[in-house]
Amino acid sequence: MTQAPIDVRAHTAELVKEVVTEILPGVDRDLIGGSRHLKDLGADSVDRVEIIAALLDRTGVDAPMSAFSDLPDIDSLVDFLSGAPR
Amino acid sequence: MSTTDTPGAYGIEALNVWCGLARLSAADLFAGRGLDPDRIDNLMMSERSIGLPIEDPVTNAVNAARPIVDALTPEERDRIELVVTSTESGVDYSKSLTSYVHKHLGLNRHCRLLEVKQACFGATAAVQTALGYLASGISPGAKALVIATDVAVVDEKAEYSEPAAGHGAAAVLLSDRPRVLTMDLGAFGNYSYETLDSARPSPRFDIADVDRSLFAYLDCLKNSYADYASRVTDVDFTRDFDHLVMHTPFAGLVRAGHRKMMREQGAAGATVDADFARRVAPSLVYPGTVGNLCSGSVYLALASLLDSGVVTSPRRVGLFSYGSGCSSEFFSGIVDEQSAAAVAELGIGKHLEARARITFEEYLAVLEHNLECLVPVENRTVDPEPWEPLLARAGDRPEILTFTGVRDYHRQYAWR
Repeated sequence: MTQAPIDVRAHTAELVKEVVTEILPGVDRDLIGGSRHLKDLGADSVDRVEIIAALLDRTGVDAPMSAFSDLPDIDSLVDFLSGAPR
Repeated sequence: MSTTDTPGAYGIEALNVWCGLARLSAADLFAGRGLDPDRIDNLMMSERSIGLPIEDPVTNAVNAARPIVDALTPEERDRIELVVTSTESGVDYSKSLTSYVHKHLGLNRHCRLLEVKQACFGATAAVQTALGYLASGISPGAKALVIATDVAVVDEKAEYSEPAAGHGAAAVLLSDRPRVLTMDLGAFGNYSYETLDSARPSPRFDIADVDRSLFAYLDCLKNSYADYASRVTDVDFTRDFDHLVMHTPFAGLVRAGHRKMMREQGAAGATVDADFARRVAPSLVYPGTVGNLCSGSVYLALASLLDSGVVTSPRRVGLFSYGSGCSSEFFSGIVDEQSAAAVAELGIGKHLEARARITFEEYLAVLEHNLECLVPVENRTVDPEPWEPLLARAGDRPEILTFTGVRDYHRQYAWR
């Protein structure tokens, strides 16, 4: 049975929080979302690479890294990962 | 049998780098610009090369290649039939930088000259094209000289890219006597597509979209290796390369790229860290003290591996070259203890150590002039006098070519 999209999104949002706090241990989980960019959480370019690579690995999403270049914020990141082919 | 004596072998006969006369510590640059010092760890840079106003892309190229050319007999020198410079720092829209380099290296006139541009991939594109020429057999015994040369034109607007910018050149002599690297001919993979991740729209500044650039680099690493694997039977990224040498805009990106590739092969945790220390880290020592040498970067990393002391027997090296825009290649070759000895003869480590250490204030004074280096003007005089104290602080150095100015659009040089 196919999982309801809203559950997929919620699960993905939790996964994003989990991965971000692993790479950036000092970040408040409640700040990981909305219109904030990973840069706003203090992630430098290498941190952002590590975060995206870990998310691709754990979600099984089949997408190039370059697909993440233009995502404006964490909500968009969650949307993209939720809807991407795996 | 040594790799040099293998019939039908082609590759790098000699390799040298020139990384300028001065250097600035990453910590001093971070402090001077008010950058977050916590980010130095991910950058993995301790210092970077700084060019003096008496240096330019031509002098860098000549100063890198001259020790290689000088080591040849007159007969060998006359077998250099192709000279290519690869640069993002061209000095004219039409006149090739190679013409100046050819003159000041004193090479013979029966030579093909060419300047190429493909961002940080240009030199590898030229190396592979030249090897195809040599291996075609249409001119047995011929040699080709490929020189990657660039200068930095970035300032505080580049933010965290400024501490990673490099200055200098890498010269490789290619032939059928591959003392330094015997190329695995036919074993290569490419991945290229259009993207604006970084560019130099003006002779005075670069632009960069950091995420787009890093993500493109990583996609290209994955896909060029996949293309390589499609041409090479039963190859395994974790098993079949004793060392990995990659384009190094900053060492932290290479670490991230290695980790991503290993993760995709199913490796994790301490295994990945140990593999990085063994297979990758030896190639990052020089880049971590020079900065991004653009298309020479992968050859600076190769020199770092060969000077590290770990190559004491035949080893296969996987090399990855990436250039913004973008184009990339994964290829491979064999090095051995003779390769290390050949590179050691040129004393690259000693030269890097001899660069004058300058302060942030001295860097600012130099930078103001360096930003004019590539700006086309009809006439200009480069007065060496203000830079004599810095030059005097550089340690033992060979005779070098210096940039003295422009007269009627013709760039002028002098040995000193």
